[in-house]
Amino acid sequence: MQNAKDSFYMALRTRLATINPERTVLLRGAVRPGILVEEAEAPFSPPPSDVFILRWLSLGVDLDLGSALTVAECEIAYQTCGTQSFGGLDRGRSLTGMDEELVAMLQPFNTPKLNYTATPPAAMLTRVFWGEPGFVPVITQRDRLSRSVKVMVYSYQEQGE
Amino acid sequence: MAANWFSAPAPVARRVRVYFAAVNRATQTPVLFDPAEQGAFNLDAPPAPWIDLGWIQGFARKPGSKTSPVLTGIPACTLEQVRETLEAQVSFEFLSWTKLTMALATGSQHMNLLAAASGATASADGGQATAAVTPQSGSTAGFLALAATDAATFAPGSIIALDLDYTGQTGFVGAPVAGAYVRQALADVDYIRRVTFNVGLVSQVSSTGLTLAGPLPGGAPAAGAKLQALTGFVDREGGSFYQEWSALFVMQGSQGERIFFYYPRLQAMTGAEEEAVPLDDNHEGGQMRVLLKGQFLALPISDPLDGEHVLCYRSFLPASMALV
Repeated sequence: MQNAKDSFYMALRTRLATINPERTVLLRGAVRPGILVEEAEAPFSPPPSDVFILRWLSLGVDLDLGSALTVAECEIAYQTCGTQSFGGLDRGRSLTGMDEELVAMLQPFNTPKLNYTATPPAAMLTRVFWGEPGFVPVITQRDRLSRSVKVMVYSYQEQGE
Repeated sequence: MAANWFSAPAPVARRVRVYFAAVNRATQTPVLFDPAEQGAFNLDAPPAPWIDLGWIQGFARKPGSKTSPVLTGIPACTLEQVRETLEAQVSFEFLSWTKLTMALATGSQHMNLLAAASGATASADGGQATAAVTPQSGSTAGFLALAATDAATFAPGSIIALDLDYTGQTGFVGAPVAGAYVRQALADVDYIRRVTFNVGLVSQVSSTGLTLAGPLPGGAPAAGAKLQALTGFVDREGGSFYQEWSALFVMQGSQGERIFFYYPRLQAMTGAEEEAVPLDDNHEGGQMRVLLKGQFLALPISDPLDGEHVLCYRSFLPASMALV
């Protein structure tokens, strides 16, 4: 399943870099597209604003198929306080912008599965695919708007996985 | 050189996409789809002359062919089976209302509501229309050159129909798609433009002509073709004309595999019908999306390969490196 999780994240990250190249985050001294996997970074509190944070939740496996089908629930959380230049009064617009970027990142609903433990990443035989995003209502905390989206990510287990 | 492989479970697909192409009614020739040659086409750019009608929902195939046993012996038992009748139906809902989807989902002629002339007598399918204008040389499928005075009668957002004047002919009329079958001569010079599928949206007007938002289905205007503004579309419950189309349904699997359902000949088998679907499941009395419902009967062709009568071809292009 790790290859599927890596491939899903890298697909979204690559697509975000095209959709909005200005959404970036400085992590461990490097500027990267503004999306990260929570379990692959040092713990942070509070979570950074204006960045997409992937969090892996439940996992299921269907073993009754020719190739086992795994399904992992991915929560993508993001929050914003708007921009300083508008005194945060544009936080609603900023959140809507992130909503739109996320919808665009999720299309098309599949990506090739790659093994990122190899250098360069090795193409595998199957594709990772996912379902429609489920948007959770906005949470308002003072001047901070946050939202999360849940996506079910599927992949077939290949030989050697 | 060796390659790895995987055992592919049943395809997983999100939705179904549909493409239609007009059967040539005069020659009774359906449009061919060859999955071996054309199966990898870009879903957003189907091979000509297929027209992309987008995603559909509620796609259902219903085989209706009947078989009968050939009985022999005492007591009788089945020796063989014979195919007694050949029938198949397909139904689905279109997710958009356009000239073509409306026409496909109705059982008879589908007409354009030509803009009415000043003082025209009211009519349920459009009364006397404003006079047609003639495109000039230099017109293309996407640009209609007009005299400045003619161009000034249109505005961005106008919808136009372009086809020949009706001159008393009988038989199939309309290009590139036969929009009706005229059994006896009519008096309406605009009749062909009332039933033509050669319609387009005007995106820009200049003193030299009209730029269209998309190319006309019939390509550059034919000699003698004229255009008229229209205000919308109308179809009727009744009538004797059956439209006939070739249809191609595509399911794209999650692993890149594709399932094609190719119907060489489809005719609508019910009248116009809609389905209202609530936008919000929690408020069923609220906003409703009105979908065009289509139900079609498949008609047979004779497969030149072996002469068998065929209603539909189902093709499967497996995912790369999937066990077959």
